Amino acid sequence: MGFLTVLKKMRQKEKEMRILLLGLDNAGKTTILKRFNGEPIDTISPTLGFNIKTLEHRGYTLNLWDVGGQKSLRSYWRNYFESTDGLVWVVDAADRMRLDACKEELNILLQEERLAGATLLVLANKQDLPGALSAQEIKDVLELDKITTHHWSVVGVSAVTGDKLLNAIDWLIGDIAKRIFTLD
Amino acid sequence: MKNQYHQDMLPLSNYLNTIYLFFRPLIKWFLHRFTNLCELQRLVYGAPDGYRRYKLVERSLYLSKRPQIKNLVYCLNEITSHCIPESLIDAEITTRAIDTILNVKKIKPKYHPGFSDAFGRCIDGIYTYKMLESYVEKLRLQQYSSENFEHEQKLLLLWNNLMPNIPLENRITKQWQQIGFQGDDPSTDFRGMGILALDNLLFFSSEYSGTARHILSHSQHPKYGYTLAVVGINITHMAWRLLKSGQAKSHFYNLSRTHGYLNIEHFHQFYCYLLYEFDSFWIKLKPNNLMEFNNVQERFEKSIVKSTEKENCLFKMNLSVENV
Repeated sequence: MGFLTVLKKMRQKEKEMRILLLGLDNAGKTTILKRFNGEPIDTISPTLGFNIKTLEHRGYTLNLWDVGGQKSLRSYWRNYFESTDGLVWVVDAADRMRLDACKEELNILLQEERLAGATLLVLANKQDLPGALSAQEIKDVLELDKITTHHWSVVGVSAVTGDKLLNAIDWLIGDIAKRIFTLD
Repeated sequence: MKNQYHQDMLPLSNYLNTIYLFFRPLIKWFLHRFTNLCELQRLVYGAPDGYRRYKLVERSLYLSKRPQIKNLVYCLNEITSHCIPESLIDAEITTRAIDTILNVKKIKPKYHPGFSDAFGRCIDGIYTYKMLESYVEKLRLQQYSSENFEHEQKLLLLWNNLMPNIPLENRITKQWQQIGFQGDDPSTDFRGMGILALDNLLFFSSEYSGTARHILSHSQHPKYGYTLAVVGINITHMAWRLLKSGQAKSHFYNLSRTHGYLNIEHFHQFYCYLLYEFDSFWIKLKPNNLMEFNNVQERFEKSIVKSTEKENCLFKMNLSVENV
């Protein structure tokens, strides 16, 4: 039994997952985190630094990391890549002006070696706003079909109404579980 | 460790509180009998003016079992959950409360000439705080809108106050990042703090323009800098939390003792104090980068909460740098 197998077994026991939420500023990362954790979402201020939430979901312990998205903070994202199982890329689907910047940042992340093993979930957030692009449209704009290095999925959600958010996270957890907790 | 201690203590204090509440009518009857004064009178005459007295009067009213007083408390809470003009406070709140208490407790102003006045000031403090809470909440719930002319004007004024010599090239521009907004358009940065955050920043930059520019220069430090506007919005969040949780009562009740009715300007002043002190706190700690903000902010909030636990708490801007 190799060292890696031992590690895998240990993690299997704890069933812990580390999930990183990233995206441009005002994409809705903190709102998603709070909504998922059942906290009020009407008193959020811009995230400086990061928030961490640990919660139990479907028998797994999820460590959710929400890191501020403003430009001056993006260079610090790398500090949070280590041992990430799932990357949630949050997109403000109503902010058409910045989709290019959004695509660019995502592409940089996908080349990151330390995120190589992570499952990618793209959330086309703010579906409750008029003029928000659908998940399909976001997929096309961000050219997600070109991604071959990661397991990925794109879901249109609304953090405000909570719509489809749970399904999306469940897919992410399912995919990670299949990958890292080998069936006995 | 500290948490553990708190958790252990909680049931005990709850227990004592229950015992106190059980015997309260008896104690009150006993004291009334021997001092010939009702509880409110004993508090108004006995407790030192300011937070301690207001707090005790508030508690006494809140715990009262008399239907008329219960009704009074209900009415006052209803009135103060809306924002009524300052000219109506005396009639709607102060006089209503004094009349009810004099009547129910059969206090004759002739024999207790000082009571009405002193009690009225407690009521002013307690209920203008509640009104301030409602008004602050109203501002917070007002979302920033780029289509609102007044909002846009305020935003431009904020720029002019902080950068008087540099004109804004465009409404959507990278320049906003120089005063610490996140991107090219500040309108999305106010979030859950709404117009309250903008009003706070604007008040700070107008009322203390020299200090504000000095702090802006701190925030632009290449190594220990931070994003002023967004930090300011987070400080609005903190001020709002302290107001809402009642932890700021010590400061505001003591302020009301000398300043009478509390209003939004007092909240802005409180905010200015916090932002100014946060800047010093940050500079002193010299954090490695902005990622440490939450940690620093938590420590800062703890130190402020600690100060509010003192009964004579009163925050005052200690300006050494206005108009440098």
